[in-house]
Amino acid sequence: MKRPLAYIRRKLSVRVSLWVVFFAAIIFNVALGFLFYQSREAVRQEAVSRATQILDKTSLRVEGILNRVEVASNMTKWLVQRHPNKADSMFVYSRGLLLNNPDFYNCSIAFEPYYFKDRGRYFSAYTKHVGDSIRTIQGGSDNYQYFFADWYLMPQLLEKPCWTEPYMDLDVATNTSEMVTSYCQIITNQQDQLIGVINISLSLNWLSQTISAVKPYPNSYSIMIGRGGTYFVHPDTMKITRQTIFTQTLEQPDTALTALGYAMQHGEEGMKHMNIGGKDSYVFYKPLGQTGCSMAIVCPESDIFSGFDRLRRTVMTIVAIGLLLMLYLFIRIITSELKPLQRLADEAETIASGQFDAVLPDFQRIDEIGQLSHSFGNMQQSLVKYIEELKKTTAQKASIESDLRIASEIQMGMLPEKFPTRADHDDVQLFASLTPAKEVGGDLFDFYFRDEKLFFCIGDVSGKGVPASLFMAVTRSTFRTVSAHESMPDRIVTTMNKTIADMNKTFMFVTLFVGVLDLPTGRLRYCNAGHDAPLLVGAGVGELPCDSNIPVGFKPKWKFSLQETQIFTGTTIFLFTDGLPEAMDANKTLFQMERVNDVANRALAKQQQEPHQLISLMTEAVHQFVGDAEQSDDLTMMAIQYIKQQSDVQMRKSIVLSNDTQEVPQLNAFVDEVCQTVGFDQSVTMQIKVAIEEAVVNVMKYAYPSGHRGDVTIEAASNDIRLKFTIIDSGKPFDPTVQSEVDTSLSAKERKIGGLGIHIMRQNMDSINYERMDNLNVLTLRKKIKH
Amino acid sequence: MNVRIEEIDGNVVAFLAGILDTAAAPETEKAMSPLNDVEGKDIIIDCTDLEYISSAGLRIFLGILQNAEDKGGHVYIKGINDEVRGVFTITGFSNIFEFK
Repeated sequence: MKRPLAYIRRKLSVRVSLWVVFFAAIIFNVALGFLFYQSREAVRQEAVSRATQILDKTSLRVEGILNRVEVASNMTKWLVQRHPNKADSMFVYSRGLLLNNPDFYNCSIAFEPYYFKDRGRYFSAYTKHVGDSIRTIQGGSDNYQYFFADWYLMPQLLEKPCWTEPYMDLDVATNTSEMVTSYCQIITNQQDQLIGVINISLSLNWLSQTISAVKPYPNSYSIMIGRGGTYFVHPDTMKITRQTIFTQTLEQPDTALTALGYAMQHGEEGMKHMNIGGKDSYVFYKPLGQTGCSMAIVCPESDIFSGFDRLRRTVMTIVAIGLLLMLYLFIRIITSELKPLQRLADEAETIASGQFDAVLPDFQRIDEIGQLSHSFGNMQQSLVKYIEELKKTTAQKASIESDLRIASEIQMGMLPEKFPTRADHDDVQLFASLTPAKEVGGDLFDFYFRDEKLFFCIGDVSGKGVPASLFMAVTRSTFRTVSAHESMPDRIVTTMNKTIADMNKTFMFVTLFVGVLDLPTGRLRYCNAGHDAPLLVGAGVGELPCDSNIPVGFKPKWKFSLQETQIFTGTTIFLFTDGLPEAMDANKTLFQMERVNDVANRALAKQQQEPHQLISLMTEAVHQFVGDAEQSDDLTMMAIQYIKQQSDVQMRKSIVLSNDTQEVPQLNAFVDEVCQTVGFDQSVTMQIKVAIEEAVVNVMKYAYPSGHRGDVTIEAASNDIRLKFTIIDSGKPFDPTVQSEVDTSLSAKERKIGGLGIHIMRQNMDSINYERMDNLNVLTLRKKIKH
Repeated sequence: MNVRIEEIDGNVVAFLAGILDTAAAPETEKAMSPLNDVEGKDIIIDCTDLEYISSAGLRIFLGILQNAEDKGGHVYIKGINDEVRGVFTITGFSNIFEFK
């Protein structure tokens, strides 16, 4: 069922045709229905009048026959009364009567017993048709004492001529019997005494044939009932004289039939529509003269309307075939009219598949389809034009996208990829992740080691996309440049701010957190420029206290404040951008600091505060929270765990020198001794000696104002792994590690005298570190002990 | 620290012996100052007996070299031991001096 419907929905021609045919069918139906109704009425009227006519005619005929019987009876009576004594004449009369009326069955002129003395007790002139001849005999015998027959007695009792109820007439001579009804009339003499009875019989069979001879319709039939309702004429001969019209109603009550029976009995005339023998029929009935009989014609409705029904069937068939033909022709015509549309559709398909130069059919039509074709042609031309433009635009877009992708790669390339783990560093491990919301983002993080310090920063540039990423790149490279010569986060940020604010034409800004973790001591110095305060995950979870500085990029002259704290072994510093607390789920609900703290607490409880563990836990929690929602902002996290374990000191020596370079040989002797104790060979001892000399001489020359005496303390300590020299002075703050590197590739002419000392320290020692602690300059130099 | 300057085969040769640390540098610089007056001759610094050198010493060497180059002369270093050569190498001085 679905398929034809789908087909109809797809085929305009079929649909339109179906509608047209549907409405035509409705109109035809209404018109034909009205016509059929009217015709049926006419046919009914016609049937009624026809049946009535036939009924009248038949009843006239029957009445004529009956009249003839009565007239013949009267004539014979008159003759008998004229010559009552001539027995032989009775045979003549009887025979003559039948001769004149060949359609009578028989007749007899019967006399009272011993009326003719010479003829004995019985005398009846009986005449009957036998084949084509007429036989006249003397009737009556001891076996047939007619005086007691109904027909002989009834007219005497009624004292008038009458018609008997049908009875079986037995012909002894031929031994044949026939159902007859008789007209009986008494014969009286002049003294008005009964002398005999004239009996004229009509064969019921013949009467029935006569009545039934004229049929208005092939299946119609006639019935005739007597006074008591007995059937005289009926197509079912078994019913004749044996059943009455009411017999059937005894078994099956049928008010219509009963009513008909009464109406006929009462000698009424009319028509009834009723069901007879399972068929709807019209019954026309009428009494037959004075006989007390009534006849009816039963016409089955199917007969009456058979012609009409046939006509109707024919017409309906013609109409149905016509409508189908119409449907077919409509479909064909509309399809052929719409064929250009199909071709246009095909061409459109071709064009849609990308062949814009497909040649459109030229229909040479000026109707709507022609117009459509024309418009379509125009559309195709426009399409070709637009597609060309689109191609150009797309290519440009692809190029931009490719640029963006490369930009993103470059940006990601800027970020450190290798994170220090426990295997690389025994004092710190770090992990970070950056997930940009768009192709390129404005978040940044960076870290690097210089001497024994971890420099790190995390930042968030206002806005997103390419501008933010460019600003981020500037910020990151500024961080690297500035921090190369500066170890104090406040000064790093202040310098960065000045540099960035001066060139900030677009009024963008960046929130920034810069930290410097002194690895030997766990001292964290930091400066926060409007960034989210990091969390410390260690003994518990807490926020790192942060001054409310402004973000970088606003005011070039802003002085950023320095803060510091002690990071204990095992503690993780968790830094993040606002993309973390402000991560949004599909309902625009924020992740919020509460959840960040929860995750951190959970990590701590599970002993999973190592950087990569903490970040993966946090990432997982955010993903779970955000679900399928689009990432709303860049998300950056960085975790730094301080893991330095103090080793047992095996050797500790120290020396205090004044700020006089002449003390250097003493220093060298001290270093020699230390190196010997530790077990360094001559070559390494030389390297260390030069490095320590450079460091100490630096202090001697620059820490104190010229002419002022000051002390320099040199401590040497070693454990299994390293030898450590700590050079302490109480002079002005001076960080030798931020001095610019010398370029060792320059020619003799270009080389400056100076800057060599720090270079030698770095080259000869494994690490060098400066700290300002308690108004002391503390410079630490380390050398690994090889085993 | 001991400095001896001689003229050998038309070259000015400076023999350095001992430890050239920061403490010894001013004295050594003074002792080597005649080398700045050398003209038209190559300078050879003989380091065979030089046990130690720090950046203070290197600065003296660089001063002599720059002075000599200004005059179109050459400065050669001779007989340097491995430890001292190490200092020359890490500071890039091995690139600017010629060794004999």
